[in-house]
Amino acid sequence: MTSGQPAPEERRRLNEWLLTAPSLLWLAVLVLVPTAIVFVIAFKPPDIDGGIGAGWTVATLRSLARSSYARIAWRTLYLSFLTTAGCMLLAVPTGYFIARVDRAWRQSLLLLVVIPFWTSFLIRIFAWKVLLHPDGPVKAALAWLGLVPPNAGLLYNAGAVLLVMIYTSLPFAILPVYAAAEKLDYTLVEAARDLGATPLGAFFRVFVPGISRGLVAATLLVFIPSLGSYIIPDLVGSPSSEMLGNVIAQRVFVERNLPHASALAAVLTVAVLAPMLAVLLLRRNGEVGAAQSRGPL
Amino acid sequence: MRRSRFPLLVTVAVLLFFYLPILVLVVNSFNASRFGTTWQGWTLHWYARLTTERDIWDALRLTLEIAFVSTAASVVLGTTAALALHRFSSRVQRFHSALISVPLVMPEILMGISLLLFFAAIGLDLGLLTVILAHVTFSLSYVALVVLGRLEGFDDSLLEAARDLGAGRWYTARRVLLPLLAPGIAAGGLLAFTLSVDDFVITFFVAGPGTTTLPIRIYSMIKHGSPPLINALSTLLLLVTFLAVWLSQRLATRRT
Amino acid sequence: MRRPLSFVALALLAVAGCKQQAKVLHVYTWADYVKPELVARFEQAEGCMVVIDTFDSNEAMYAKLKAGAGGYDIITPSSYMVQVMHRQGMLLPLDHAQLPNLANIDPDVLKIAIDPKMDHSVPYMMTITGIAYLQNKVKDFRPTWAMLDRTDLAGRMTMLADMRETIGAALKFLGYSINSTDPKQLEAARDVVIRWKKNLAKFENEQYKTGLASGEFLLVHAYSGDILQVQGENADIAFAVPEEGTSIACDDLVIPIQSRQAALALRFINFLHDPTVAAENTEFISYLCPNKASYPLLSEETRANPALFVPVEIQAKCEVITDLGNDNAAYARIWDEIKAAR
Repeated sequence: MTSGQPAPEERRRLNEWLLTAPSLLWLAVLVLVPTAIVFVIAFKPPDIDGGIGAGWTVATLRSLARSSYARIAWRTLYLSFLTTAGCMLLAVPTGYFIARVDRAWRQSLLLLVVIPFWTSFLIRIFAWKVLLHPDGPVKAALAWLGLVPPNAGLLYNAGAVLLVMIYTSLPFAILPVYAAAEKLDYTLVEAARDLGATPLGAFFRVFVPGISRGLVAATLLVFIPSLGSYIIPDLVGSPSSEMLGNVIAQRVFVERNLPHASALAAVLTVAVLAPMLAVLLLRRNGEVGAAQSRGPL
Repeated sequence: MRRSRFPLLVTVAVLLFFYLPILVLVVNSFNASRFGTTWQGWTLHWYARLTTERDIWDALRLTLEIAFVSTAASVVLGTTAALALHRFSSRVQRFHSALISVPLVMPEILMGISLLLFFAAIGLDLGLLTVILAHVTFSLSYVALVVLGRLEGFDDSLLEAARDLGAGRWYTARRVLLPLLAPGIAAGGLLAFTLSVDDFVITFFVAGPGTTTLPIRIYSMIKHGSPPLINALSTLLLLVTFLAVWLSQRLATRRT
Repeated sequence: MRRPLSFVALALLAVAGCKQQAKVLHVYTWADYVKPELVARFEQAEGCMVVIDTFDSNEAMYAKLKAGAGGYDIITPSSYMVQVMHRQGMLLPLDHAQLPNLANIDPDVLKIAIDPKMDHSVPYMMTITGIAYLQNKVKDFRPTWAMLDRTDLAGRMTMLADMRETIGAALKFLGYSINSTDPKQLEAARDVVIRWKKNLAKFENEQYKTGLASGEFLLVHAYSGDILQVQGENADIAFAVPEEGTSIACDDLVIPIQSRQAALALRFINFLHDPTVAAENTEFISYLCPNKASYPLLSEETRANPALFVPVEIQAKCEVITDLGNDNAAYARIWDEIKAAR
């Protein structure tokens, strides 16, 4: 080892910092700091004419204890949970199917799944408003079958919100499930069958555990963004199916009460961090997947 | 082994579910009816009107400008991040990895409101710059994810061979690594571009006067109901998307 | 961290460079609130460009201004919001020497205006809130707020998402003042709205007019101008002012203090109150511009329209919504409770 050159170890660390610093600093400044600010503003009083007042107070946080927020928070959790459940029920068979089909078909099927995602999010929601219009074909069909009264509206209720949330989240569930299903060794499933397991048994005891990482990723990718849903309940929901996101947006844009919006956003942040932390801890303890990939998720 | 038909049926149902609203949109863009609930004959009238709506073209131009700038920045940041995550595995990288994954799952409304408060706190006026900063922030992680995925399927022996043959570090990077990584970077860039063009919630929170992007314009159109115009616009966008995807598929297969 | 920022700044300079040439007047207003041809006429006369951004609620506009959006030259807030903005010192005092057309403004309107001397605001458009409905689909219509109790229309009605308007409608229904601060009255109004809410599809400020025209909704709580605009698309639509009285509102033209085109903005205000321009605007957007010199220029139909020119008996029962300062919080609490109720 000659002197005069920086030790390889130091060179290596310098390179690491050169590569890591740009993205690390960017995200630290534009994600961590703003999130911290959200928590800070939650402790400030609102200014009577909008904006943020001087001084500190816990009154804003204490006002969160009102039962109306609890109901909205519960509804948010509940609808997000149902959305996730609905997506998983549809994504697992679909992911399985695409992973098992001939290679030639796989590309096309994946493309078909992804292409709607490439159209504008707002426009897809708008399309459902047209489809579910009280004078539209869906309502006409349902009324003819006698399932709904003739003057009813299909939109502006929790069901419509759930339907559209599943619609927009489904690709995010299918892709991770597919990715995991594609990597699975199917001889294991066949072996289970050969050993006498029923198709359903093989499915639940070999396939599902085998794609567990994909299932976890899919669940996180659907559940967490759903918690913050705001546009969908705004466009197709009723006042009784408002979610936490609606209230936050209202506080910011309509009632100009930024500290209140912050407090609610802080609650939402905690609710979002909880599942992620849980997954991180479980992974650390079980060493599942920790060594398999260095990437996020 | 007898295969159950169930997965096939579910997949077909899912695809029908995906395309039904899109079909309605496309069909209605040719519908002479103002509200699209009943069919009233073929027309290209709405497309014609679309060409005269100055607001929409202004919004589209602005959206594309923002998308190009933010994509360029997020590709640079995302690629360096992916390289760091792939090559190193220190504690710093574990923190780095966790930080990268935050924007991927963070609900948009949280990112929107936190950035709004941040910009207000540092006294930065809402406008073009704030929108671009926001777009880079959420696109960066997606680019990193895509490029990292490509890197993990990478054969490092190629790089080692180049270095064994005497190539310097930068030369290797420029002439060997980057070209091999190019499809991954292109895919990441395409994803970042799409996310930027389509973003509504975050942009809505941090846009200033005059920064009316296409999604914000569309939201306003939905609220004020110009349904046939939206149908025509979305059919056009869909067509462009199909073409872009088909084109990139052709390019990708030609490469390999 | 400097690297990404300077890169972005350079890119921005390149992008923004082109727009610096012509004078640009930034207008922040309600959607469809000025006739496009008039804007074009002004652009040509002054050799400038007019850029119009829209907001859908006074609070949204205000929040945006407070959060730092500072590029506007002309804004059209409702009077109560003008009160708030003036208190905050956000408005430029108006130089009447540049505004000769102010002489045309209807003195009756100035009597109920919040800024009668027009120090910092000029009345722009009057609107009245009422009920719009589809004549063929709604049986036994009566012009009263009690229509919102009709369960046969459940799920097909909307009310405004504006808390003062909706709580105000309930207050009027109960015979109280629209600016009441009596807690008992507010609670009674809250219970009425909660009862009405069961029949509503949404609280909606904008979509209700196309919703009504397309048949999505059968009966909506509406601003008169919106309905007049959309009647052309569906002849079945009718507008009625409830007999218990309702809110009358005025939107005013103001110039924010940070405006960089104050002189041009003043000329725009003067332009809008030219009698011919005001008449054309009234006819086009179907709100009433309170420019007395323009009334004779309006069509017979327009002058006879009860939604524009309100009959005296009903006008006696109508009130202008005023800003209540600290008491706004009471309304906000009630509105919260309404939104959260089942």
